[in-house]
Amino acid sequence: MTQLLPQHRGNACRLASCGMLLGPIWPTHVCSAPCLEEKQEASQHSPALLAGLGNDIVLRKLSELQAGERCCVVGTLFKSMQLQPSILQEISEEHNLVPQPPLPKYIQPSDELMLEDELQRIKLEGAIDVQRLVTGTIMAVYGCEQDDGRFLVEDHCFAGLPPALPWNGPSSDRFVLLASGLGLGSVSGEALLSTQLLVDVVTGQLGAEGEQSCAAHITRVILAGNLLSQNTQSRDTINKAKYLTKKMQAASVEAVKMLDEILLQLCTSVPVDVMPGEFDPTNYTLPQQPLHRCMLPLASAYATLRLVTNPYQASLDGVRFLGTSGQNISDIFKYSSMDDYLEILEWTLLAGHISPTAPDTLGCYPFYKSDPFILTECPHVYFCGNAPHFQSKLLQGKEGQRVLLVTVPDFSATQTACLVNLRDLTCQPITFSGFGADSEDGDMEVGH
Amino acid sequence: MELRGQGFLIQVVCWVFSLFQVTYKWLSYTLGVHVNQAKQMLYDYVERKRKENSGAQLHVTYLVAGNLLQNGHVCHKVAVVREDKLEAVKSKLATLASVHVYSIQKALLKDSSPLYNTDYDIVKSNLQHCSKQMQICCAPAGPRPPPEAPRAPPQSTQGPREPGATGTANGHGPAAARAPPQQHRGIAGMFAARAAAKGQDTPRESKAEAREAPGVSAASSKPPTKNSIMNNFFGKAALNKLKANSVPEQPKEEKEVVKPSVAVAEPESSPNSVAEKPGKKAESAGIQQEDKKSKTKRADRSDDEEERDPENVKKKRKRIKQLQSDSSDDEDVPPSPTPEEERAPSPAPAPAPKAELEPASAEVSAAGRKRKRKRVLKSKMFIDEEEGCMVTEKVYESESCTDSEDEFCKPKAPAPHKQPLLPTKREPKEERKNLKKGAAPANRANKQVSIMGFFQKK
Repeated sequence: MTQLLPQHRGNACRLASCGMLLGPIWPTHVCSAPCLEEKQEASQHSPALLAGLGNDIVLRKLSELQAGERCCVVGTLFKSMQLQPSILQEISEEHNLVPQPPLPKYIQPSDELMLEDELQRIKLEGAIDVQRLVTGTIMAVYGCEQDDGRFLVEDHCFAGLPPALPWNGPSSDRFVLLASGLGLGSVSGEALLSTQLLVDVVTGQLGAEGEQSCAAHITRVILAGNLLSQNTQSRDTINKAKYLTKKMQAASVEAVKMLDEILLQLCTSVPVDVMPGEFDPTNYTLPQQPLHRCMLPLASAYATLRLVTNPYQASLDGVRFLGTSGQNISDIFKYSSMDDYLEILEWTLLAGHISPTAPDTLGCYPFYKSDPFILTECPHVYFCGNAPHFQSKLLQGKEGQRVLLVTVPDFSATQTACLVNLRDLTCQPITFSGFGADSEDGDMEVGH
Repeated sequence: MELRGQGFLIQVVCWVFSLFQVTYKWLSYTLGVHVNQAKQMLYDYVERKRKENSGAQLHVTYLVAGNLLQNGHVCHKVAVVREDKLEAVKSKLATLASVHVYSIQKALLKDSSPLYNTDYDIVKSNLQHCSKQMQICCAPAGPRPPPEAPRAPPQSTQGPREPGATGTANGHGPAAARAPPQQHRGIAGMFAARAAAKGQDTPRESKAEAREAPGVSAASSKPPTKNSIMNNFFGKAALNKLKANSVPEQPKEEKEVVKPSVAVAEPESSPNSVAEKPGKKAESAGIQQEDKKSKTKRADRSDDEEERDPENVKKKRKRIKQLQSDSSDDEDVPPSPTPEEERAPSPAPAPAPKAELEPASAEVSAAGRKRKRKRVLKSKMFIDEEEGCMVTEKVYESESCTDSEDEFCKPKAPAPHKQPLLPTKREPKEERKNLKKGAAPANRANKQVSIMGFFQKK
């Protein structure tokens, strides 16, 4: 049985990356002419390359498949899940179904994977982890078609890490503070003191001189989403009568005012990039547009406040940052067996797409000409916000890529933010705490 | 010694205000000192008090910061701890970065929320100057529209520095930060003028107050029945308009008003200041209220007030003219005092917001404001002599709240206008009636604001 050798894997990766130009799961006849041409070019080159390697790996489209022939197919995955919430089922009167409550995970052993290309789809089975993969991933599979019409997979691969960017980082210590999930407007006030401590540390009020001089090296603060808490999202007022709700004010109004004050304090001393998140007052579909500056009248007077989109990409001091507020990762978490946010983050980088499940299960603008979520170059820092806890890892690629993966924890739950050192791409969590009614001795674990 | 004197100062401050607690931030803002200096002052005070062993029991909270090893990686921890837990926390940290006094209070705190509340209040009242006493100064961080400096990394403090001395960063800090607050005053002058009741702003405040005195008195002469919140807003709006548009008018007004109000200013400033204490509370509520108020008013109070004011005044004029043209050509609502004032050639912006308020007030659902005059849709019935029939028509008329004085002047206007149009009037009249009917339900829907509507004189 021939396996996909590393050289073949490389070719297949290139083919897969061409296939990615088709986008996640849009009907492939919509894909534009340039994409098709590129794919055809690649497929013309590949038989020559593959033949030169001495192994007989053929690239086929699904329509050209012959039963029993070993070949390589590139396409988009589709996972059909029974538990996947479907709006059509919910409103269908025949079934008389009660709407399904949201589950933490929607995977089931009976899920099936299908590979789609421009014209056809085929069911996959074999050496492939159905639970782990999600809809929308572009991959190349090697195997052969069975008599019953299914494709028996022997090996598969993804697009791999995108090509590296040149490194222009600073030579001295410069820090970027990543925080997400401030959660303003929530009922609990515990996190408010921690938020104030965070602002005080960044603005240099807290701590002795040593601490303050370290804080002076923070060159940017990035707030990665969920500045408002989920409690501000209550939609009860829609169901109430108008005369009851006349004098009521949405909870988010007060929360945005608090946010404005906090941002004002931060902006007076450091440039701040504010990304919207799931619970913030902006549009729902990805890419989320920046918060409007009229909501932050005090802080938007300062040029250091930058309201940016989600996902967000920027070059800070020569270091390329790319990150989201976490909706993409948490959506993959729901539909895959992968449990670790860092693992999912790494996997999206290897698959070459920030959010493969969009627009299937995650709201997304219907791009049809080009997909902006495809990773064409490898960032230096790749982060996602609103993770359950802090994790970080430095990933080294074969072509010299160096990526720092960071899962930024939810501040309202963990009171932790991250400090990224731009000089050597290291990351350190920083925790803030006050004291509560019960003693906090149990919380501190000391490892020696 | 300077610090000792400041220790006394803290004691006086505590005693005078009977404060529950003093945080370093509160002290820094109140006394106008650098945060590090405030921390040092608190520390010295605690030391002195402890040495003296006086009866008053002091509870101190500290801020501890350091590194600790957690889950295999180095984690930086910043914590506010009570004095009794201080040693325990310090021992748990692998390396200690800083320990300093966070606050002093009279009683033992169970929770850290009072600390947060104190800091929140003091920061909120000093929002514009929060960068003054900070250690880090950021060159590009200045409010617009001053030209942006080229981006530079924030200047780090060079080496350790004694708490009391003012180093270069300190010198830069207050200087650089003082320029933005001054410019800010131009943009949001009212907020700063009212909000910062503390030392540095007294000269400015007295100026603003002196300006507001004529502003308030001028405004108060016009609508006598507005309540205090409206007065606040109105005072500001009048101040705005006065500042922005009528610079020639202002010295005139000031001249007129200065003479009486020099005498009046003293007694007025004290009721003003008294009114300002609740006014301050209402003012921070007022600021919020302003945000809550309708969009027409918010359009007035944008940042570039000076640019937009003439436009807004023009817009207001247009709006009122349209309202008039809506309500038929013939019964051209006879020039009621409001549009007349409005069309006055001199800018007279004060009537403009009032005029704009009045038709707008029909839409804004304020809670039971008394209006001097309002335009009410009424049906008027009169006998048409020529045709020998009775005509019922819906007319807009100005009616005051207490009793209708203007009611009677209206029929005279429609009646003479009726005669010439008799031949062709059927269709236009019906059209007008339809228009009115269209406007009437909408008007009625807006008008049912208070229950007093039921008890109007019919």
